[in-house]
Amino acid sequence: MIQITREERHWFLENVARALVEYSGAAEPPVPIEAILDHPPEVFHEDFGVVDMYSNLWDATFARPPGQRGSIFVRVDLGETARRHALARETLSALITSKHGRDIGLPDLLMSELKESASYFASILLAPNAFVDAYRAQGGSEELFAESFLLPVEVAESRW
Amino acid sequence: MSMQSLNQLVARSIIDPGVVQAFRAGRIGDVLGEVGFTPDLQAQLTGIECDSWAEFAVISYRHVRAAEAQAPRLQFPSPLEGLLSAESQAGQEQVA
Repeated sequence: MIQITREERHWFLENVARALVEYSGAAEPPVPIEAILDHPPEVFHEDFGVVDMYSNLWDATFARPPGQRGSIFVRVDLGETARRHALARETLSALITSKHGRDIGLPDLLMSELKESASYFASILLAPNAFVDAYRAQGGSEELFAESFLLPVEVAESRW
Repeated sequence: MSMQSLNQLVARSIIDPGVVQAFRAGRIGDVLGEVGFTPDLQAQLTGIECDSWAEFAVISYRHVRAAEAQAPRLQFPSPLEGLLSAESQAGQEQVA
C-alpha cells in the first residue's frame, strides 16, 4: 500500500461521507444517520445495523459476529447528539470491514489511523461541507450551529 | 471540473460496486470516459497501476491536483490599478 498523507485520507473520507449523505437524499441538516443505518445502500445490507444495549464500558462499538450481519451496539441511555456521533463514528468500521469495503481496499487505506479517521469521518458525515457552507450563506449563527446539525458541542466547534 | 469529477466518481464507487468491478476488470477507462475528465487526464489516470481501488483513487487525486496546479489561470488586472497600463497612467498624470 502506498503512503498517504492526512490530507489525502481526509479527502477520501469526505467522499465516503458524501456518498452516504447523497444516498440518504438529505438536502439540509440534520443528516439522518439512523435512517442511513436502517436503510443502507444495497451493497451494505449485510453490514449496517443498530442494536441498543445497556453498557457502562463504551458509547458504541461495531461488531460482526462470524457469518452474521454486522451491527453497531450502542448504549441505550446516550443523549441524542452523543448517540448520533457515536453511530456515525462506528459506521466507518462497518464500511471498512464490509465485503465491499474490503473490495475497495479500505482496510489498507484507513486501518492504521482508524481512530482519527473515524473521528473525522463522523464530523464530516454529520456536518458535510456543502451543508455547512449553505448554513453560513443563509446567515446561520455559530450559536445555533450545534443545535441545527444535532452535533456534540466539541464536534460543532471543530466544524465551524 | 476534474476534481469535481473525481469526487463524484469516488463517492459513486462507495455505493456502486460496478465501479470497482470495472477497475478490477481493467475497464476503468470506460468509467472515466463517462465522468468528464479531459482526454489528457483520462489517459494519465487510465495508466495508473496499483493494487486496489482506494489506492487508485488517491493516486488519481495526486494527478488531478497536479493538473489543476499547472492549468493556466485567467489573470485580471487589479481594481486598484484599473485597466490602463502603468505607462499610459504616467502619461495621463503628466498631461494633468
